[in-house]
Amino acid sequence: MTSTRSATLFAFALLAPALIYITVIVAYPLVDTIILSFTNAALRPTYDFVGWANYQRIFTAGNFTEVIIRTLIWTFFSVSIKMIIGMFGAVLLNAAVPGQTVFRILTMPPWIVPMAIGIYMWAWMYNGQFGMISGLLQNFGLTNGPVAFLAYGNTAFWATIITDVWIGVPMVTIYFLASMQSIPKDLHEAAWTDGAGRFYRWRRITLPLMLPAIITMSLLSLIATFNSFDIIYILTNGGPSGQTTTMIIDTYKTAMGSRKYGEGAARAVVICIFVSIFCLVYFRAVRKLSQGEAK
Amino acid sequence: MSQLSLKRLEKSFNDSRIIKGIDLEVAEGEFVVFVGPSGCGKSTLLRMIAGLEDVTEGQIEISGKVVNDLPPVQRGIAMVFQSYALYPHMTVYENIAFPLRVEKLPQDEVDRRVSAAAKVLQLEPRLKHRPGQLSGGQRQRVAIGRAIVRQPKIFLFDEPLSNLDAALRSEMRIELMELHKRLGSTMIYVTHDQIEAMTMADKIVVLNAGEISQVGSPLDLYHKPDNLFVAGFIGSPKMNFINGKVRSADGSTVTVDLGKLGVLSLPRTSTAVAGQDVTVGIRPEHMQLGSGEFTISTTPNIVEHLGIHTISYSTLPGGENFIGLFEGNPTIEDGKALDMSFAIADAHLFDSRGLAVY
Repeated sequence: MTSTRSATLFAFALLAPALIYITVIVAYPLVDTIILSFTNAALRPTYDFVGWANYQRIFTAGNFTEVIIRTLIWTFFSVSIKMIIGMFGAVLLNAAVPGQTVFRILTMPPWIVPMAIGIYMWAWMYNGQFGMISGLLQNFGLTNGPVAFLAYGNTAFWATIITDVWIGVPMVTIYFLASMQSIPKDLHEAAWTDGAGRFYRWRRITLPLMLPAIITMSLLSLIATFNSFDIIYILTNGGPSGQTTTMIIDTYKTAMGSRKYGEGAARAVVICIFVSIFCLVYFRAVRKLSQGEAK
Repeated sequence: MSQLSLKRLEKSFNDSRIIKGIDLEVAEGEFVVFVGPSGCGKSTLLRMIAGLEDVTEGQIEISGKVVNDLPPVQRGIAMVFQSYALYPHMTVYENIAFPLRVEKLPQDEVDRRVSAAAKVLQLEPRLKHRPGQLSGGQRQRVAIGRAIVRQPKIFLFDEPLSNLDAALRSEMRIELMELHKRLGSTMIYVTHDQIEAMTMADKIVVLNAGEISQVGSPLDLYHKPDNLFVAGFIGSPKMNFINGKVRSADGSTVTVDLGKLGVLSLPRTSTAVAGQDVTVGIRPEHMQLGSGEFTISTTPNIVEHLGIHTISYSTLPGGENFIGLFEGNPTIEDGKALDMSFAIADAHLFDSRGLAVY
């Protein structure tokens, strides 16, 4: 009995650093944000509890629903493009071609360059007067004059997605490449011996065996993209006319721009709920996948 | 006409020659085993036949047609891999059906062929399972099933039993031999296990360092090895070798001086020269306890009593290890001197190049 108790205490002692870390870094801010979301906290020394008022306001007044839809569309395109390019890149990098290592190294710069520098680089490229993209389009006669990509809602929306894809693709590619390389070579050789061509092998062997990696990477990418702040903040600051304002930018502007901490916290809680739903779907998918394998 | 013909076959990786000019003929329906130590090139040779490795030089002919540049599927072969190479996400049924799906055969034909293969391999109750739920032997059968449904001219097996435990290995060995009888197909089987080679093969190809050391039936190789390598590789425990020098040779008898062990006269028509280095080989199972035509007095360092037979390990005066294998449970003990002997007819003689002298 005593030994069981001491073993339990020992287990808790070992867990203590992690528990303290989670409490301080995750649990406390989360609980504090939820409490704050039910208050009218602003730049005043005191605040009052206002019940669901903040939540009612964000869904009835203003354009929060529009922001949510925009965020979902922005995230959907960004994640999908990252996954497709990442998979394509991994297939290419996995091919036995001369200079394979060089190609692998060349995929890394977007990931290695400090994010803010990368984003400013894109800001310059999108610039209508001095930007490379506008210049090239004019040189090839595709536009009549300079195009300030970040000045128009449509182009700014896609410009932010392209930059996010540029930054996110190397990680997806390397992750997919690692997953691809973990598939035994024998499986491909056996399939080839049986007459399966490259695409057939990719569709019936590589892709299904990479599914756990694809699901994991999709979720990680989904969360990171959904919460992506730096790119839009630096490139457009949510503009023009709020057309690149996503939920995270909206939350920041409400809490830090308008100093409505209570309402900002309510928006942050909504983000949290969305991310939780993504995670729930992910864990269900993983469970289903592992049950399928055991069957 | 031979079904498979290898002509001066060569394979090099960069500057290193792995397969060095191999010539081989395999007749239809033959069970041929490539055997040799690790790194001898047997798996590479099999992969070249399969079309998984390019041919550096020479020719591979299957049913009279040169297949060097044909992809595996057009060669009429099916291969069973050492790792089984089963698709973990597919059921047993889909694993076996895979080549038929690639061929886009109609569903009823796929059903018919998979059912037939599953029946032969006793896999019917397992068709809905995934490979992860099967035992090693069952996985092996699924891999064979995938090969069978293609109805190939030649089956290629790359060390298919090496991942199984000893009991299952001998069980599967028998199953494979029965399968060969039932299908009557040509089978080429790679192994490093000479017991597998001896028990399964119609013809054994012994490979050493990328070259064929000898081709023949199992008993040919056992009784009349062409060289020291084959003599040492075929047989378990391996053949004993005693170094000696030719004392005289008269065209009908070669007399060999074995130092402290004495002088041995062997009936050989060789024109050996006095003083020439030779090696005398004698299989452990040809040793008998007590005096005989040529007697060796020795003291075993270790004695193994295995019930069915007893094995003694000793060191000869010349430093060579010497093994004796005796039937049953004779009363021999380690550290206790004994006499053992062999019949002259059972002795093998190899010249200084390691080639057998008959």
